[in-house]
Amino acid sequence: MGDFKLRPVFLFSLIIFVILFDMPAFAHKVSIFAWVEGNTVYTQSKFSGGKRAKNSSVIIFDSNGNKLLEGKTNENGEFSFRIPKKTALKVVLKASMGHMAEWTIPVEEIDPDAVSNNSKPESDIKNSYETSSRSPTINSGTDLSALSEFHGISRQEIKKLIDESLDRKLSPIMNILADSYGGGPSLTEIIGGIGYIFGLVGVAMYFTSRKKKKYRLSDK
Amino acid sequence: MHISEGVLSPAILTGGAALTAIGVGIGLKKIDYEEIPNTGILTAGFFVASLIHIPIGPASVHLVLNGMLGLFLGWKAFPAILVGLALQALLFQFGGITTLGINTLNMALPAVICYYLFGWGVKKSSDRLIFIITAFASGCCAVLFAGILVGLSLYLNGDAFLPAAKLLVAAHLPVMLIEGTLTATCALFLRKVKPELLESYYG
Repeated sequence: MGDFKLRPVFLFSLIIFVILFDMPAFAHKVSIFAWVEGNTVYTQSKFSGGKRAKNSSVIIFDSNGNKLLEGKTNENGEFSFRIPKKTALKVVLKASMGHMAEWTIPVEEIDPDAVSNNSKPESDIKNSYETSSRSPTINSGTDLSALSEFHGISRQEIKKLIDESLDRKLSPIMNILADSYGGGPSLTEIIGGIGYIFGLVGVAMYFTSRKKKKYRLSDK
Repeated sequence: MHISEGVLSPAILTGGAALTAIGVGIGLKKIDYEEIPNTGILTAGFFVASLIHIPIGPASVHLVLNGMLGLFLGWKAFPAILVGLALQALLFQFGGITTLGINTLNMALPAVICYYLFGWGVKKSSDRLIFIITAFASGCCAVLFAGILVGLSLYLNGDAFLPAAKLLVAAHLPVMLIEGTLTATCALFLRKVKPELLESYYG
């Protein structure tokens, strides 16, 4: 029985050393984080050790699982694309060596105006003309059509400006979110896992010791 | 080394799980009462080893330690690695539950192969140089074989074999060297302080 006393002690100290040595726990999995800014989706991919997943393929699916487009991440693990259509997007990252991760962008996050930027429906603009011409602030003395046109453009412009400045203001926050997403496991999880293993050892020893006792009893 | 969920086809996953089940069965039959604590502690070592990230090389890699488990546990490496991987999947999100079978096979089979290939040299009676070389080779080759097996799994799934395997092996070269050294150091330590323990394994 004394045989294995020393080795567990040695290995246990090795484990403790490993934990202390490696406090900023590094991990091995890949993660992708994607966010929408205007009509573009930005993605950032990395291994949870913090190393960026360079030159990995990113595939975009729509909600029905149809492949929309495909691309490769750059040196910083980033990849961005224009939203092809208004649908929930599933962003799948395929890194080397059998690693895969995915991120879903719900349809609500996609701004319909931004997607259909090039082919803006006429009704939208007309609507904004109407609302602006109904506005009570219109000075009756001025040229009504010119004013309403001015108002219409300014509504679009304001919306665009707000969107742009919000995107600009939010981009550091998005970067922080992207950086913090997919971090390595915490100390609690590491210690917890070791606890599970020692618990299993206890259970296994309990059952084998019962078996042993039975044999001994049957011997007698 | 951990293959993520959703990468492999169900056929490969089931095949891997079936082979792992056989290996775990053989391993569990071989565990004696006295060996349970050793097995548990080596499992804990395997569990945390994956957190040691090696920053050298083109990709993100970590220690595997399957060579050491194979050398000291033989077939018992199968249940040990299964438990370690299950906890890594649940707590760290490495790999996944569906890929547990194939991942265990990819890491535990090389461990068993190394046990048969190099176990003979890791004895109290053997020459010190042979002892060091075989222990080093065990730690080193287990990672190499695991890389080849992962490449093979990806190949069965439709990827080209050579580029995948080459990348895996190239990425794990520093890991192979570190693990070889680590295994040799641990084995030498045991030889010095508890030589009868090694003898009990390969008696």
